[in-house]
Amino acid sequence: MTLTAGSATWQETLSTVFLHALERAGDALVAMSGHEVLVKAAQVRMRRAADVIDDCGSPDVVVAGVYVGFSGPLRGHALLLLTPDGARRFAGLLLDGVVAPGPSIVGPNGELALGPLQASALQELGNVTISACLNELGAYFDEPVQPTVPQAIVELTGAILDAVLADLVADVDQVLTARTSFTIGGESIDGTILILPDAPSLERLAQAAAVSHR
Amino acid sequence: MTLIADGRGPASTNPALSVAGIGELVSSADPDHTLVCYGLGSCVALSAWDPRVRAAAMAHFMLPSGAGGGPPVKFVDEGFDRLLAALRAVGGSSARAEFKAAGGASMLAVMAGALDIGRRNAQAVEARLAGAGLRLAASDLGGSAGRTVQLAVGNGRLLIKSVSGTKTL
Repeated sequence: MTLTAGSATWQETLSTVFLHALERAGDALVAMSGHEVLVKAAQVRMRRAADVIDDCGSPDVVVAGVYVGFSGPLRGHALLLLTPDGARRFAGLLLDGVVAPGPSIVGPNGELALGPLQASALQELGNVTISACLNELGAYFDEPVQPTVPQAIVELTGAILDAVLADLVADVDQVLTARTSFTIGGESIDGTILILPDAPSLERLAQAAAVSHR
Repeated sequence: MTLIADGRGPASTNPALSVAGIGELVSSADPDHTLVCYGLGSCVALSAWDPRVRAAAMAHFMLPSGAGGGPPVKFVDEGFDRLLAALRAVGGSSARAEFKAAGGASMLAVMAGALDIGRRNAQAVEARLAGAGLRLAASDLGGSAGRTVQLAVGNGRLLIKSVSGTKTL
């Protein structure tokens, strides 16, 4: 846990708030998957755009992600990232006993993709886990944080992240990243949850949290 | 899936590869060299290649315009002149150069419209070139797919790879 911008109090307050929020996301992941989930140590850090991409792996590695934007008292972007194979297997766990997942859709050039049911299951997974995190953050305000409709996407890591980072770094060089990774027990599925609020949101959240903790 | 030809990805220590990270600029006059931008989404890669001296530069632009600070070609408006200067620094001429661009995708449906940074980046590159009396020789801009681009300094070919295939400009 390293925050290098703002006062020590500001850093400690935000770190504590985001670590709690990531714990809620982990709880939601466990509840939704119905399987043993190992949630690894969360990190809250100020990072340059290029570092955020590196933290999530190589920019030209394909990942399966769920994107959820958020607005209201807090504005920013959230992502759940999995390997494409991990996403398919996770979707299979969620769909087990409901419907046969069927074969994966593979395009004419061999591109990686998710079938409609797999994409839907993944979207729901992202929606539940990210919303749990946002609900925790929204508890500091009188109005709720509003998430967008989740979007499942299979793409290059850099391509997914540069769009959201570009929206955040127009006026600043660094963004706060709150991330955690997890492993689904017997399936060895690794994933990452990434929360990226904009700079004004951080100020509002730090002020609200400081009042709340007094 | 790793898209780079040598299979070692961005962390490659291959001395023949120069990687422009987000907001960064690379250049070379070595015909055996390849300039690379990995994982472009809304970002735009603009390459300039001088066929006479076989020198090239490539920028990985992130935003159309903005306040200073950050990496050298974060913004198209102030980074464009740095691209031309980088080409001159390796012996190239912008007047002779072939310019090619790729990227500027709209990756996320919810960010389309006013927040469509990819489209605005592509427009900014085209406007900046036009303002300097220059034009694109070829481009692969827009759409909704991410791209990795590789410029071969020896022949000026721009290889574009995405999850759905490969093309050359």
